[in-house]
Amino acid sequence: MTDSEIIQQILQGDRNRYRKLVEQYQPMVFRTCMGFLHHKDDADDLTQDVFIQAYQTLPAFKGDATFSTWIYRIAVNASLNKIRKSSKSQFLQRLETVFGGEKSKDYSFPIPDNENPENILILNEHREWVQKALNSLPENQRTAIVLSKYDDLPQKEIAEIMNTTEGAVEALIHRAKANLREKLSSLKKKSKK
Amino acid sequence: MPKGIRLQVETHLGDCKECAESYHLMSLAIRVVEEEKRLHTNPFLVTRIMTGIEELEQLRESNIRIPIYQKVLKPFLFSISVAAAILIGVMFGNIYLPSHTTNKLPVELSYMNDAALESVDLFSNL
Repeated sequence: MTDSEIIQQILQGDRNRYRKLVEQYQPMVFRTCMGFLHHKDDADDLTQDVFIQAYQTLPAFKGDATFSTWIYRIAVNASLNKIRKSSKSQFLQRLETVFGGEKSKDYSFPIPDNENPENILILNEHREWVQKALNSLPENQRTAIVLSKYDDLPQKEIAEIMNTTEGAVEALIHRAKANLREKLSSLKKKSKK
Repeated sequence: MPKGIRLQVETHLGDCKECAESYHLMSLAIRVVEEEKRLHTNPFLVTRIMTGIEELEQLRESNIRIPIYQKVLKPFLFSISVAAAILIGVMFGNIYLPSHTTNKLPVELSYMNDAALESVDLFSNL
């Protein structure tokens, strides 16, 4: 059964069919959210919001694009909105940090058993550099690199999601990589000082 | 990457410090991205999403089921009754007016000297 057929059934009132779409697409939506937020719990919550939002706007899905392209668009927009909102409330976050209510950093990444504590610390520092460097990218470069590296999407699909051309996506990814390299280099120099 | 090219790249990385640094930084980034990609969603996420949708649908259905009496008439009647209560209160308040025609004090009373009246102490000393 194709996605369009499932959507037709959902629109006719068989809402349990939506479970199938959620099961199929939740890993990729989660990866996209993770690429933007770098926090597992936040990515989980945002994935939930994305699917609920998609369900609510399902009657507007015309089938011009595939369901995966459509849900990717929702996921990218929701992630960017969340980032914009959180950057607006940075002042409040700083206040929270001052009063000891800092949000816990998510170190739920798999750590190899034979890794010594020093290496784990270095690994965490590197992780922080990469996340900072990714977060410093402009929105369109960031979207292109997340869809390319986190979701392993071909440039053609990224172009469809971003409503642009393949050439533009290629240029965006190229510039994003150059900016990442530059930012990582400066972060490394700063940490040495 | 073909073996020959790979060997050339490795030799160049061994000689060129700048490229080696760049390669190191990008491999760091790739490592972090791969780590994040390995994370899985909460196993109950699908259930959470479906529950959220169900609640949403129930809310929507209950909104449809509410009869017009509850949706429109009830708040309207409530507002009317509050307005009526205020109006009646104002009206009752306005009913009382100090009378200018009745219960006038006799003129003699104004000539009475209260201080000259017998004091209560006079009787308590008995």
